[in-house]
Amino acid sequence: MKYAFFPGCVARGGCPELYQAAKLICQRLGIELQEMPGASCTGAGVLQEKNEFLGDTLNARTFAMAEDLGMQIMTICSTCQGVMSQANFRMRKDPEYLARVNKELAEEGLEYKGTADPKHLLWVLIEDIGLEKLTELITRPLAGIRLAPFYGCYLIRPTDALDMADHPERLTALEQVIETLGATVVDYSGKTRCCGFPILTINETNSVAMVAKHTSDVKDLGADAMITPCPLCHLNLDGYQPKAQAQANRKIEMPILHLPQAIGLAMGISRQELGLQKHIMSTKALTLKVGAG
Amino acid sequence: MDVTVRIRRYDPEVENPESYWQDYPVALDGSATVLDALIKIREEQDGTLSLRCSCRSSICGSCAMRINGHAGLACKTQAASAIDGNNTIVIEPAGVMPVVKDLVVDFSLFWDKIRQVEPYLQPQGEQPEAEYIASNESMLHLSSVTACIMCGSCVSDCTVLEVDPTFLGPAALAKAYRFTADPRDGDSNGVSQERLEQLVEPTGMWDCTRCGECVAACPKGVDPMDRIMALRDQAMSAGLNNSNGARHAEAFVDIVGHSGSLNEALLPVKAVGITNVPGLISFLPVGLRALTHGKMPPLIHHNIENVKNVRKLVKKLEDPPLD
Amino acid sequence: MLEHDVLIIGAGLAGMRAAIAANANGANTAIISKVHPVRSHSNAAQGGINAALTDRGDDWEDHAYDTVKGSDFLGDQDAIEVMCQSAGRSLIDMEHMGVTFNRDDEGKLGTRAFGGQRRARTFFVGDFTGQALLHVMFEQLIKSGIRSYEEWFVTGLITEDGQVCGVTALEIRSGQVYAVRAKTIIFATGGLGRTFEPSTNALIVTGDGMALAYNAGARLMDMEMVQYHPTTLMGSGVLISEAARGEGAYLLDKNGDRFMEKYAPNMMELASRDVVSRAEQTEINAGNGTNGCMFLDCRHLGESLIMEKLSQIREIGIDLIGVDMIKERVPIRPGMHYIMGGIKTDIDGQTNLPGVYAAGECACVSVHGGNRLGANSLLDTIVFGERSGNHAAAAARDVDYVEFDVDAVVKKEQDRLQGILDRPQNGDRVGAIRLDMGQSLNNNLAVYRNESGMQETLRDLKGLEKRYAAVPVDNKGRIFNTDLVFSLELGFMMDCASAVTVSALDRKDSRGAQARTDFPNRDDENWMKHVVVTKGEVGPEISYLPVSITKWTPEERKY
Repeated sequence: MKYAFFPGCVARGGCPELYQAAKLICQRLGIELQEMPGASCTGAGVLQEKNEFLGDTLNARTFAMAEDLGMQIMTICSTCQGVMSQANFRMRKDPEYLARVNKELAEEGLEYKGTADPKHLLWVLIEDIGLEKLTELITRPLAGIRLAPFYGCYLIRPTDALDMADHPERLTALEQVIETLGATVVDYSGKTRCCGFPILTINETNSVAMVAKHTSDVKDLGADAMITPCPLCHLNLDGYQPKAQAQANRKIEMPILHLPQAIGLAMGISRQELGLQKHIMSTKALTLKVGAG
Repeated sequence: MDVTVRIRRYDPEVENPESYWQDYPVALDGSATVLDALIKIREEQDGTLSLRCSCRSSICGSCAMRINGHAGLACKTQAASAIDGNNTIVIEPAGVMPVVKDLVVDFSLFWDKIRQVEPYLQPQGEQPEAEYIASNESMLHLSSVTACIMCGSCVSDCTVLEVDPTFLGPAALAKAYRFTADPRDGDSNGVSQERLEQLVEPTGMWDCTRCGECVAACPKGVDPMDRIMALRDQAMSAGLNNSNGARHAEAFVDIVGHSGSLNEALLPVKAVGITNVPGLISFLPVGLRALTHGKMPPLIHHNIENVKNVRKLVKKLEDPPLD
Repeated sequence: MLEHDVLIIGAGLAGMRAAIAANANGANTAIISKVHPVRSHSNAAQGGINAALTDRGDDWEDHAYDTVKGSDFLGDQDAIEVMCQSAGRSLIDMEHMGVTFNRDDEGKLGTRAFGGQRRARTFFVGDFTGQALLHVMFEQLIKSGIRSYEEWFVTGLITEDGQVCGVTALEIRSGQVYAVRAKTIIFATGGLGRTFEPSTNALIVTGDGMALAYNAGARLMDMEMVQYHPTTLMGSGVLISEAARGEGAYLLDKNGDRFMEKYAPNMMELASRDVVSRAEQTEINAGNGTNGCMFLDCRHLGESLIMEKLSQIREIGIDLIGVDMIKERVPIRPGMHYIMGGIKTDIDGQTNLPGVYAAGECACVSVHGGNRLGANSLLDTIVFGERSGNHAAAAARDVDYVEFDVDAVVKKEQDRLQGILDRPQNGDRVGAIRLDMGQSLNNNLAVYRNESGMQETLRDLKGLEKRYAAVPVDNKGRIFNTDLVFSLELGFMMDCASAVTVSALDRKDSRGAQARTDFPNRDDENWMKHVVVTKGEVGPEISYLPVSITKWTPEERKY
């Protein structure tokens, strides 16, 4: 299978290990990735606050590029997925609006025809590849490992743009993957809540309090690690956990894995190749327990 | 339909009160709502169960509670759609607000926040003899916000209020928007400058994380988060750009408009403000730790291919040429 | 000591309007309500509020005539004149306060057609006008800073030498009983819907004020006039607004025929409510419905109109019975909705008890007579709420607080409530008694009535009263004991049920909402008068009051 790859800015910038891990596991899953070097940022919802039409136009531009490649888009970022889905939802339900957008794209010689259906790697796994295929590739099951899912808001809400009515399996996709990897799901109410990243520069105390809450909650439930399909959640839950520990005045030390890293571990890929040594919160105890050194 | 309703109960009058679960078996019609089930339990089995409810038709806002972990109105939720594989429905009191007894929570926090936004029309000019003239579109738009029944579902599930009770929260901010967007409120152009000045302060519009929980919880389609985003837009249009939030949004557009993609290294600098030394230093520990772990964003940020096309788009749509 | 010049019981539209008026007149005002103000049942008024605006060529006298005719000439015409004349000003006041009324193309207030009126003069906010008005009134209450006792349940009136001088109330949150002293009291407690089962009314609508006033010696008038709304949803009996028919929806029988042709060839679906409900019931009885329901058909109105103006009732249909009115016909039937009768007042809200007022549905001015027109109830609350507030504030200036032994009063009430809590379990339940009462009333005091049926209900009520005197409550605690509150509410409802039944039995003609199969005709010679019920030594006593006729001579009603 071949997808137009949209890694998102953070996987290219702040979390290069995610990009690397995603490429490695896609190779094994037989997913061919076609880069789109001219694609812009989705706007991450922030740009949309200031100018929604601009945001939608930028996304339509990316969609048009994928249409030209004759491929569907795959992303590895919950936020990118959500923002693209919302933009697509608005444009597909209102042809007049889409026409306005296309007027702007015409200058660059692009046109979005409305056929894009961007999918996060998590959804591609469940819907296009199938978990059977993943099962076949597992050489080092994560038996005895307790993993707590953390979706990222944009992969869960709003449900209409994310087409949850037609795809109810998307609401439990992460748990299904965890079980496929041989690990045990740690269930808790925080799994679909906010990591705090969007207000990090605006109200750091609150942002860090959210990190403290979720990481402490799963710690108390005996989790070995959290697993997230969103690089922004990863940035906050991992990078700001030291501050969260200070703010909450307790040790948490919860490793935060990107989705492809957890899959890679179960596929027998090495700790180094998955970039697990690059995390702020040590993943050493976890990888030792898995038998990955 | 035989259903088990599993209710989170709390009796404040026992010694060392603690919440506990109680299961009630109840036989329901296929079309029964969750509220029908609760009333049946209360009337036929256990009168000690306390909850608020009244209209049975999603208009009075009394029966907001958590149904299977998410806030909503019991009277608007079909029992058949709420049962799990074991025919069980899990009922808890609304979140954020303290529990008084069983499913009854203390709404003081909710109403205090509503009061804070001075929730009544404040026109500055002369009042006309007859009605104000206003477009139907403007009134329909406002009505989609005044459809709020103050049930507290959004407040219950707000991620920010969960960690910071000083946040104004989705209901009060949507209520505020109902006035800032009213052509009758504020000056003769309908601009409610003073309201916006208050709302850009900390604990106001910029503290929302955009998590969408309030939109999912709202039983009336008010979309509180979208109203908060509209408030931000109004504030920036009114020239209120001197907040971390406004700078964050503007910096974001600047960076994307320049390089086509996001440079996280630059964003905090621009958002906190290059002259805000303590603010910048607060980001340092994380930055330094990230550097030592080899995961700091590259300081030299590469532009996307053909970035000039994106620059052109951003420039045009951000500063539309005058006709 | 809690004391107020003007104490308003009930925080719906009438209560809050009264409070704002009294406060504006300088009175020390407070409002006391068993629920938070925005939870009040005024919310449920969907379709709109009537007013004849002269600047668009309408005439308040036309509105008054439609109201008089709608009342089947039982409404008091002096009061109706007051209401219709004040309507325009009251409406504009609400707009100025911030109500987001729908507009016309010129940006002025838009109207829709409504039942029993020859002209479209119903102003509206989508299909949630009551909620829109109620929330704006609450905004004004916040602005005014008026003291509001929220979730306080009034358990009794305090009377000293025949003068009502305060109330006892249970603070539901703490279980504490308080006495609140007042120079004047305004009842704004709404209707008695839950006395019937099913009913469109909210669970809080339990006739508290009518029963409290009745037990203190006030007169209840027109209590036999119970409105059955033509379009209540199959099953739960939730309201589907008349706005649907106002916007052009049809009523159909099982064959898809517009049966209203036979009953009201001119006004069709927009005849007055009593006429439409009777037509439906006749058709249902003749087997022309399906599962005891007729159909409301909105499909030809189109999705965009429904989404703009009827979106909330559409949602109710989807939520409660899974029927989308954009695509399907909605099964409906007549259902108990409103009581035209209530505490008898004059045009300033004064009752026969000095210092005691009433406004809104709990009052009977009487502007609705035998049948209320749709969209006149919101108007009634605002006009007479304001007038009562004004008058009570003025009256309070001339009187002093009546002294009474607060501790003794509180102790006595506490003991009474404790007595209820202490009752031993006997297998009976408050909910069961209410259900039996409600079903009996709905069987025998509905659209069509007759002597034997109503006698049966009277007997039922006698038995239920005995059960009520011994019925236990499960919850023995103090904090938020809703079980105790329901028990007290049931007592109020039983008083109301008996007032409705004896009044209906007494009136031996058919008029407005009262259609007796044993007295099928309107009998102006003997029954052009109000039936009044007061509490006597051994039970309800009946008397009569004349109908005020100013301009419009009674005639036969045709729609």
